Amino acid sequence: MNIIKTNDITYNYPDGTEALKNVNFKAEEGKIVALLGPNGAGKSTLFLHFNGILRPSSGSILIDDEEINYHKKDLMKVRQKVGIVFQNPDDQLFAPTVIEDVAFGPMNLGLPREEVEKRVDESLKRVGMEEYKKKAPHHLSGGQKKRVAIAGILAMKPKIMVLDEPTSGLDPKGASQILRLLYDLNKEGMTIIISTHDVDLVPLYAYTVYIISEGKIIKKGSPKEVFEDIKTIRDANLRLPRIAHLMEILQKEDRLPFDKPYPLTIGEARRKLKDHLED
Amino acid sequence: MFENTLDCYAHSNHLKSTNTYFKVLFAILTMLVSLISTSPVVPLIIAFFMSFLIIFKAKISWKFYLKFFLFPFSFGLLTFVFMAIFFGVGTHVLELGIFNLAVTADGFNLGFLVFARMLGGFTCLAFLALTTPMTELFSVLKLVKIPKIVLELAMLMYRYIFVFLDEAINMYHAQETRLGYSSLKKSLKSMGMLGSNLFIRTWLKGEQAYIAMESRCYDGSMRTMREPESIKSMGTHNLALLILFEVSLITGVYITANFKIF
Repeated sequence: MNIIKTNDITYNYPDGTEALKNVNFKAEEGKIVALLGPNGAGKSTLFLHFNGILRPSSGSILIDDEEINYHKKDLMKVRQKVGIVFQNPDDQLFAPTVIEDVAFGPMNLGLPREEVEKRVDESLKRVGMEEYKKKAPHHLSGGQKKRVAIAGILAMKPKIMVLDEPTSGLDPKGASQILRLLYDLNKEGMTIIISTHDVDLVPLYAYTVYIISEGKIIKKGSPKEVFEDIKTIRDANLRLPRIAHLMEILQKEDRLPFDKPYPLTIGEARRKLKDHLED
Repeated sequence: MFENTLDCYAHSNHLKSTNTYFKVLFAILTMLVSLISTSPVVPLIIAFFMSFLIIFKAKISWKFYLKFFLFPFSFGLLTFVFMAIFFGVGTHVLELGIFNLAVTADGFNLGFLVFARMLGGFTCLAFLALTTPMTELFSVLKLVKIPKIVLELAMLMYRYIFVFLDEAINMYHAQETRLGYSSLKKSLKSMGMLGSNLFIRTWLKGEQAYIAMESRCYDGSMRTMREPESIKSMGTHNLALLILFEVSLITGVYITANFKIF
């Protein structure tokens, strides 16, 4: 079942430039979907349509098979269901303390105080930030801020979590902690949509990959299918995962028998190399 | 980042975990006593006592405290000098010898009183600022029924001061790297650019923050989870201590009421 579905949405900026052109995006329930695209391709603009912040110039968006109708009450429901974690946590964390920030969403949902407290504790624990409850956001590191931002969304118990460049600006450890967390959340049934240009990580977690360039979806499929089309990838200012690129070079320059499809992850490459060496 | 700001000390001093109401009441009542005192003795005692607390109890670095103290101190001194010379009539205690200016006993006493009160009041506020994080003060403000809208604005401002401070520092470094502050003229120009850029940034950030808040179902009012703690959380021991201290100060005020240097 598709939990998010957009039908031919087009979005024009007030000055008339088309930011999105007939975008058809689907996210299957319980899967991780990656949206790959260069800077300025329209990733963030598309995301803001998922919870009704932006309204498409034409086309429609279905959440859980229900079309967003932009009435205030229904928008609240949509925003509870679709949580967006923004790229820059400083844009999102506005409260003077961590605990107040995480409580913001559930308080707005009008939940009773005990429930809010429970949810705040749970979600801070979930992201491993429970000791930082009373800290001010400016006393936290980038990775910690990101985790608090995620906790703020988790506390609203969304069905879908949308993350704009969740690993940008983080050190490798911070990035892998975030991905681990998303992976676990997904296992528990949450649908996760990630925008990124980190092509090395995409094959590791994504079930479906979309490539967006200049406001258009130019490719869609499993990581294998998408990265097979090397030309499209490169035309969109992206690249192959390093591993696949290595295999491509080994095949083309050194005439080693690694044919397409190139392995995309370290695990796949290891298997392929082992097979080759054992032959 | 921000290691040398008041905020950082407020979050890391040794009196941070002391009850917030205790600190707030202590600072404000002591300040009031310092203000009603008609002699400079009690305010000066207060200034010394508060400075002692700040440096030895809260363990704020004395270098930082001295620097912090220097501004109001020099301002106070200036006021003192001017008041001593230009205020009051009566017997001259010191002839300056130019323009017929002289220090009068009246003016000197008044100036010194103002100076002492100022130091007393300042040290009380410094104590509060250096030992109590803003985040704790917000809940006290809520308790005394400060209008919600003011409080919300204050909270947002507090948070974003640091975001913009960070940006401003980064921009400043970037300008410095390209020699933007190598002469006075360039400095002025760079400063102006930094200011205008920062203004545009605040605009954009405000927009972004609003979108992010809207995404979490913001509907125009910020509901905070924390009910302010009751003032009773202060404890009877602290309350007794506080009353005893203030009463002895007031007694001091009464005894020294007619104390005058000249």
